[in-house]
Amino acid sequence: MPKNGPDPRAILDLDRIVHEPARLAILTVLASAEEVSFLFLQRVTGLSKGNLSSHTQKLEAAGYLETVKAFQGRIPVTSFRITEDGRAALRVYHQQLRALLPKEGKP
Amino acid sequence: MTTTDLKALESLTRDYAAFQSHKSGLATALGGLMAVLFLTAPMYVDALGIRLMGRYLLEYLLLAPFVWLVLKALLGRVLYRDLGEVKAIPDAAYERRRWFWILGIALFIGVFLILCILGFASGFLHAIPAGACVSMPSLGALWLPLLYLAPLPWMLRGIEEARAYAVLVGECMLWFLASFLAFWSTRSYRQPSMETASTVVQITLVCLLLAILIWSALAMVRGWKEHREYLAILRALPREA
Repeated sequence: MPKNGPDPRAILDLDRIVHEPARLAILTVLASAEEVSFLFLQRVTGLSKGNLSSHTQKLEAAGYLETVKAFQGRIPVTSFRITEDGRAALRVYHQQLRALLPKEGKP
Repeated sequence: MTTTDLKALESLTRDYAAFQSHKSGLATALGGLMAVLFLTAPMYVDALGIRLMGRYLLEYLLLAPFVWLVLKALLGRVLYRDLGEVKAIPDAAYERRRWFWILGIALFIGVFLILCILGFASGFLHAIPAGACVSMPSLGALWLPLLYLAPLPWMLRGIEEARAYAVLVGECMLWFLASFLAFWSTRSYRQPSMETASTVVQITLVCLLLAILIWSALAMVRGWKEHREYLAILRALPREA
């Protein structure tokens, strides 16, 4: 590893909550809008209902998203919004990942 | 999950959210189509003199912008909510421009209304030539433009919608004004001809009509383009799990 290259141990510092692909996709979608319905999140990520529920619960437990429950007429609608902590975690994750990747033109 | 995938997810979400914040797709195209029909139909059917269920057609035409607003809301609900609700991140600059349009329309309607009222108050009625028609759109219709102001901030979500609404309302005002002028300047209410107008007025009206037709064509193209964008979003989605 060259002297000025990225520290390989830095990969261990990655936030594992964010690093999981499904959760990364969920956070990415939530960061692109103010509030996103469960249905949209499910369709856009291609996850099953159970999988999506499980991942959103983990993200909520980490304080990265909040659940909004409402009614449209008599139909209950679940939506999610990213928290400031979630946004910050996603930003840090991107920065860490960029730092780990080799610079363009260098192997 | 690659960077490209993440970028695609981001843009998919933003594009879809745009249809719930400011894009109207086919509703914009419908606005353009309505504007053309609204502008040309009365020319052929001599709308100013036609009565329908005891009222002048003009009075129904005044409702056209509301019909469009209702259709727009219905189309948005039926066509562009396949994937549930997504609220877009508010864009302050865009919101400012939208309010600029809304205030512009409100001002336009307000000024027009005041001019109409002043016209009546300052002897418009005394200027009727002998033998002029005795029937005209009811004066009750005079307050109708005020209704146009009510739904502005709630029902016009984007600049495109504000433009469509402005043109439809503008056309209504034009017919409204034409009815007054016809009443004032011709011997028969059924003959509100351009012959009595000066060359400047004629040229202005032709320019206005051309501008509306061009805008309408652009609105139809843009609306159709937006609709195709929406279909592309649906196609880009992964298959259901």
